[in-house]
Amino acid sequence: MRNAIFILTLGLIFATAGQAFAAEEPQNVIKYRQAVMKAIGGHTGAIAGVVKGEVSFTGDVAAHARGIQEMSKLVSKLFPKGTDNKMQEKTRALPAIWEDRAKFDAAVKAFQAASANLVRVAEAGDPAAFGGGLQELGKACGGCHKPFRAEEK
Amino acid sequence: MPQAVPGGGKIDTRLVTRSPGRKACGGRPFIWAAAALFHLGLATLAAGPAAGAEPAVARGEYIFRAAGCLTCHTDTKNKGAPLAGGRALPTPFGTFYTPNITPDPVHGIGAWSDADFITALREGLAPDGSHYYPAFPYPSYTGMNERDMRDLKAYLFSRPAVATPNRAHDLKFPFGFRFALWPWKLLFFTEGRRIEDPSKDAQWNRGAYLVENLGHCGECHTPRNFLGAVDRERRLAGNPVGPEGKKVPNVTPHPGNGIGDWSKSDLTYFLKTGFLPDGDFAGGAMTDVIQESTGFLSDEDRAAVARYIFGLPPISGPGAGP
Repeated sequence: MRNAIFILTLGLIFATAGQAFAAEEPQNVIKYRQAVMKAIGGHTGAIAGVVKGEVSFTGDVAAHARGIQEMSKLVSKLFPKGTDNKMQEKTRALPAIWEDRAKFDAAVKAFQAASANLVRVAEAGDPAAFGGGLQELGKACGGCHKPFRAEEK
Repeated sequence: MPQAVPGGGKIDTRLVTRSPGRKACGGRPFIWAAAALFHLGLATLAAGPAAGAEPAVARGEYIFRAAGCLTCHTDTKNKGAPLAGGRALPTPFGTFYTPNITPDPVHGIGAWSDADFITALREGLAPDGSHYYPAFPYPSYTGMNERDMRDLKAYLFSRPAVATPNRAHDLKFPFGFRFALWPWKLLFFTEGRRIEDPSKDAQWNRGAYLVENLGHCGECHTPRNFLGAVDRERRLAGNPVGPEGKKVPNVTPHPGNGIGDWSKSDLTYFLKTGFLPDGDFAGGAMTDVIQESTGFLSDEDRAAVARYIFGLPPISGPGAGP
């Protein structure tokens, strides 16, 4: 009996949580999604400043790499159904994300792997390997932005 | 008689005598070859060729990357084999299907001689004497030096042969008439390899060769007239209707419309990684170009590209900067 109540309660909690997520306003999800993407872009922009030699904060690149890696774990859930550019304004997310979710998920996985690798090479402190790691990360970014993001008008 | 071309070095316009049996293009100064050897020697080292590979093949691989052959000659969308062609290139003139350039003797270019290969790049002519459509960027490749062409062929011939048959182009009337390409070439095509501009230094000349010839940047970034010829007055100033009907940005150093507010290192970094100066990552066709071509260049070559690009006249253009 106690077990049954426990399972019931657990089920109820999950059901409410699921509903709460589904009730998320699409425009708010898009706003949040773009804030996360900008955070990633902020880190890549900061790394670029170091790699180009504009600033000498070479010790910072590992922190930025870790920032990107943390963000990479959030990406998948930022794309609930109904937040594409056909149904919503102010987004360039293409319906292709939901039409081929397996490909999208694989691309997100590739991004997570590339950012984890970037952390590794950044912590190792070898500039050449880090350059290669950045190229890998760029490939991963393109893996989503090319097939799944509409071009700017 | 060398003739100056806008924004660039000089193009050797000597017509190559072509006997019915066709022979290789005319002689070329020894000095040029030596200079190219020097440049590319550096470049090849930086690119790290496969150990033990034939020098011509290893060098050819670098040319292959710089010339960006892979993306157009592979039908990635339909999981086509590398270099086996078949990629659709929709244009205002209809859809072109790129040909198989693997060494398959029947469907590819395996039966081609060096002279056939050079004639295709230099003159835009197939081994049977028919004209190529300028969807194949021979108006850019014509400026390549002969050693680069030979080494490129050596590399292509080292790749696996794939027996994928070529698909006929699907062009709108009247563009399906190949013979009309002869007057087109007469009007718009200047044949001949690039001659270095002695008033500029080696880095600028190398950049010009990479941008205008090997990299054929203008084939997408320069607007075309109604007959599909690039508008040399608006070199690299963006194309409102680029490949696949998409807008291609202005890459002249114009501050508002082009990339005038980028630094040289912004550009070299972009060509290496794909990240824009603001940290964003552009999608679009340039993603492939970076991943399959400019990302493989040596740092020296990317610096040469930036040097040349930022020396171009700034032109305000329709396609705003990326």
